[in-house]
Amino acid sequence: MSLRDAGPPIALVVIFGIFAVLSPDFRTVGNVQNIMDAAAVLAVVTCGITFVLMMGSIDLSAPGVMGASAIAVALLVANNRNGNDLGLLGVLVAIGLGAALGCLSGVALVGLKVPSFMTTLGVSAVGLGIATLMFSGVQPNISDEMLHGWAVNRFLGLAYLTWIAMGCVLVGWLIQRYSRLGRYAYAIGGAEEVLALSGVRVAPFKVAVFTLAGSFYGLAGVMVTSQLSAGLVQAGKGYDFAAITAAVVGGTLLTGGRGGVLHSAVGVLLVIVLTNGLVQIGVSPYWQGGVQGLIVVAAVSAAVIPQRRRNQVTK
Amino acid sequence: MKFTSRPTAVVLGLTLAAAALAGCSEEASGGGGTDGGSEASACAPEDVTLVGQVRNESNPYEASWLDGGDAFAEQMGLEQQRLTYDGDSTKQQEQITQLLAGNTDCLVMNILPNGDSDTLPIVEGAQEAGAFLVTQWNKPSDVNVEDYSQWLSHITYDGVDSGQQIGDALAEAIGGSGGIIALQGILDTGAAKDRFAGLEASLEANPEVELLDQQTANFSRDEALAVTKTLLTKHGDKVKGIWAANDDMALGALAALEQAGRTDVAVVGIDAVPDALTAIEDGTMTATVSSDGPWQGGIGLAIGYCVATGELSVDDIAAEDRAWFAEQFLITADNVADFSAPAVDEADFACDNVFSRSQGAIS
Repeated sequence: MSLRDAGPPIALVVIFGIFAVLSPDFRTVGNVQNIMDAAAVLAVVTCGITFVLMMGSIDLSAPGVMGASAIAVALLVANNRNGNDLGLLGVLVAIGLGAALGCLSGVALVGLKVPSFMTTLGVSAVGLGIATLMFSGVQPNISDEMLHGWAVNRFLGLAYLTWIAMGCVLVGWLIQRYSRLGRYAYAIGGAEEVLALSGVRVAPFKVAVFTLAGSFYGLAGVMVTSQLSAGLVQAGKGYDFAAITAAVVGGTLLTGGRGGVLHSAVGVLLVIVLTNGLVQIGVSPYWQGGVQGLIVVAAVSAAVIPQRRRNQVTK
Repeated sequence: MKFTSRPTAVVLGLTLAAAALAGCSEEASGGGGTDGGSEASACAPEDVTLVGQVRNESNPYEASWLDGGDAFAEQMGLEQQRLTYDGDSTKQQEQITQLLAGNTDCLVMNILPNGDSDTLPIVEGAQEAGAFLVTQWNKPSDVNVEDYSQWLSHITYDGVDSGQQIGDALAEAIGGSGGIIALQGILDTGAAKDRFAGLEASLEANPEVELLDQQTANFSRDEALAVTKTLLTKHGDKVKGIWAANDDMALGALAALEQAGRTDVAVVGIDAVPDALTAIEDGTMTATVSSDGPWQGGIGLAIGYCVATGELSVDDIAAEDRAWFAEQFLITADNVADFSAPAVDEADFACDNVFSRSQGAIS
C-alpha cells in the first residue's frame, strides 16, 4: 500500500483510538465483536458497489435488489407463508435474482445508453415492485434453522454472517486483483476510450460488473433476512448511500479508476465505528446525525490530502 | 408538429369542443355541491366512489387499513379504490389532483397524508372540487377542520397516551424497578415526540425505573437491531426492558436480544403489527398498542359515505368530532387473541355510530 492510500486506515486507527480513550464501554472485546457483526451487511453491499464505482459508474439499485432477494429468500426457505423448504438452494436462487436485476441494470446501461444513475434507480424501483408483489400484505417470517443460525451462531466469537462478509471481501479482492473482470473495471474507470481503442469490447464487461454487484446485493438481502428472521421489502433501505459513503470514505473515487475492495472495507469499518462510538460515548441522538456527517467530511478531506490534485470529485 | 389532413383538424376541433362542454357541465354541478351544502345534492348510495389512500401496501398496518376499507365497501355493495404513494409527498398530491379532476360529486376519500404539511393542499383541493374528505394522523395544529365544509373529520391518536401505556406495561413487566433503554422514532415527527413524552410521564409515575439510554432507530427494524446490539454491549445486564416507539423497532430489538442470547429482557412497542402480536402470543414480547388499522380504513369511508348519502349532515357533526382522538387498545398476553385476526365490526360503521370511539377533541 502506497503512502497515498494510507489516509483512511490512519483515520480509522485515530478515530478508534479516540473513542477507546473516551469510553471504557467502547474498548471491550464484546463491543469490537459487535462492530464487526454490525459491519457485515454493509461490507457485502459495499463490495458490490465498489466494482461499479471503479468503472466510474454509480449504482443506486441496492435497496430494490436487496428487497426483492430478501422477500424471495424468505418465501423459498421454510417459512410461515407456504410449504417451501429449499434451504441453501433458496439462498442461491435469491442471489441469482439479485444477479439478474444487476444484469438488467448493465444491459440497460450499455444497450440503451442510459446513464447508470438512471438505469440503476429504475432497476431499484423494479426490485421494490417485485418485492411488494411477492410480499402481498403478509410478512413472511423464516423458520429455516440454517438461515436463522447464520445470525445467531458464532465461530471464534463472530457471527457466521460476519465470516460470510469477510469471505466476500476476500473474493472481491481476488476478483479485483487477479481476474480480467477486475483489471478491466479499473481500466474502464481510468480511460475507457483507450481500452476501447486497443480492441477490448467494453460492453460485456460493464454488464458483468453490474451482474456481480447485483449478486452481492442479493446476498446482502439474504443476510438482512437472516438477522431479522423476516423478509422485509425495506430490507435495503438506505444501503445505497451508506455503501457509497463507505466506499468514498475508504478512498474509492466516484470518478473511477482508483480504490478497491480493501479500501472500501476500511471505509465500512470507519462508518460503523463512528456510528457505534457516538452511541457508546453517549452523544445525544439529536446531535448524532450532524456530528457523524462532520466527522465523515473531516475524515474524507484528511484522507484525500495526498491525492488532492487528482481528486476530481472536489470540483 | 403540423396537421396536413382536414379530417384530423375536424376531429381535433370536435374533441376540444366536447372537452370544453364536459368541463363546463362538471364545473356547474361541482359548484352546486360546494355552496349548496351537501344534503342538497345527496348521492344515491350506488353512485358513491370510495377511495382509500395510504403510503404503501408493503407495510402490514397500512395494508390492513386498506383491507378494512374494502370490508366497509363490500358492506355497502361498493368497491374501494386502493391508492398508495410510497411515502412520496409529490406522488400523493399528483394522485389527489387526478382524482379531483374526475367526477367528484359523490367522491369519498379516506386519506393518510404523508406529513403535516401535505394535509392542507389535499384539504383545499377537496373543498374546491366538492369531494368528501376524512384525513388521519397528520394535520398541522394551526389548521382548523371546522373552517371547511368538505373536510368532514380528522382522526388521530394520542401518542402521549400510547407511549405512557406501554411504558407502564413495561414497568410492570420488570417488577417496577430496573434499567430500561428507549428506541425513538424519526426524531422530527410528532408521533415520535408524543410517544417519548408519554414514556417520560410513565417514568415519573414509576420512579424506580431508570432510563439508561435513549437512541433513535428511525422506526426501522434493521436500524433497531444494530442500535440495540450496541446498547446491550454498553449497558449489559443492567438492561431489564426495552421501550420502542413502534413495533418494527421492537421486533428489531427482539432479534438483537436473541443474537445476544438474552431472554430476560421485556420489550414493548406500538402499532400491533401481526409479527408483534405473534411475539406477544409466544411470550417473547410484553405489550403493544393498537390503533386498529382495519377500523381506520373503514371509518373514514363510513363518515364520508354517511354525509354523501345525506344520512349525516356536516352541520350536525359536533365540533369535538371534527378533529378527534380515537380510542386505542393496549394488547398484552391476556387479550392478544382478540386482535390476532383483524376484523371489522359492521356496527362501528353505522351512521349513528361513527364517532363512538372518540376519546375527545384534539386540544
